[in-house]
Amino acid sequence: MHIEDGILSLGACAAWYGASAAFVGPGIVQIRHRIKANLSYKPFLAMVGVAVFVISAMHLPVPVTGSCSHPCGTALAAILVGPWAATVLSVIVLFLQALFLGHGGITTIGANTFSMGIAGGLSGYALWKLLRGMRAPLWLAAAAAGLVGDLVTYLASALELALSLHGQIPLVKQWMIFFMGYGPTQLPLAVVEAAFTAVVLQAMASRRPDLLPGVIVKKGA
Amino acid sequence: MCSPSRPGQPQPERFFDGFTRAMLITMVLLLMGIFASASYMSQHKMAATGTDDKVNNLATVATHGEHHPFIELPGDAQLGAFSVANFFAGIIVGYQWLRLFGKAKGTR
Repeated sequence: MHIEDGILSLGACAAWYGASAAFVGPGIVQIRHRIKANLSYKPFLAMVGVAVFVISAMHLPVPVTGSCSHPCGTALAAILVGPWAATVLSVIVLFLQALFLGHGGITTIGANTFSMGIAGGLSGYALWKLLRGMRAPLWLAAAAAGLVGDLVTYLASALELALSLHGQIPLVKQWMIFFMGYGPTQLPLAVVEAAFTAVVLQAMASRRPDLLPGVIVKKGA
Repeated sequence: MCSPSRPGQPQPERFFDGFTRAMLITMVLLLMGIFASASYMSQHKMAATGTDDKVNNLATVATHGEHHPFIELPGDAQLGAFSVANFFAGIIVGYQWLRLFGKAKGTR
């Protein structure tokens, strides 16, 4: 989902920057608010940011398709630090990856943030909230969030490319063409991300539920 | 021969504890999975390129232009950059780990 410089037009890049800014702004507000409420939040945020950085740069080979890809970790981040705060982490992670690791581009940070931090993070978080609201087990809600967050990230990336480049081809057809470039490799990795998300949240629930007020335990409990 | 510690004496630190063992076993299993996958792909002459690159190449068919990451890391430079980034990321995660996963006092 790391779209590189030179693929999207400057207009499209600017539009995705604008769309992402609409989510990153509330993210900064959420971070400020939570830092005041919880002293552990700042180091926690740093660690989750580092985890997203590593997870989204970790290329794993998938022998079935003969290519490599990476999980994202943004659904997990959205659950742990808040959905809006996770979008801020995504901007920082994608900026550092573009600057130092040759992953993605600078003009495409808006588009990449939208797919990984916003579409992936928010969809995973929404599903987590829905399943927890329906009293689903924690591991199941976490796994579903990880799986869906991962796949939605790549669906959004493919849509961003299709919106800019479909030309005379129907948009949905072009979208699916791009998604089929990601999908077959991404599906097994989404299953891995589901398991990872479930294990991390289950571990935190058993060890440090106090670190996640409002997430695993109700606020004030 | 090791004598048992007396009551009231501080217990010696156990560095190779259950957590370390579990992490090492997980790492070895993951690495074995990666090696097996890579070996399979090598035997079947699969390119093993990243899907990001594949789709970016596909997209440039439509743009007829060139795509490039912000910075190019040829050959082993990429391995070096990833190693440096992950080394320090590991230190930060390790530093914060006990705050998150260590058993808090009063928490079962």
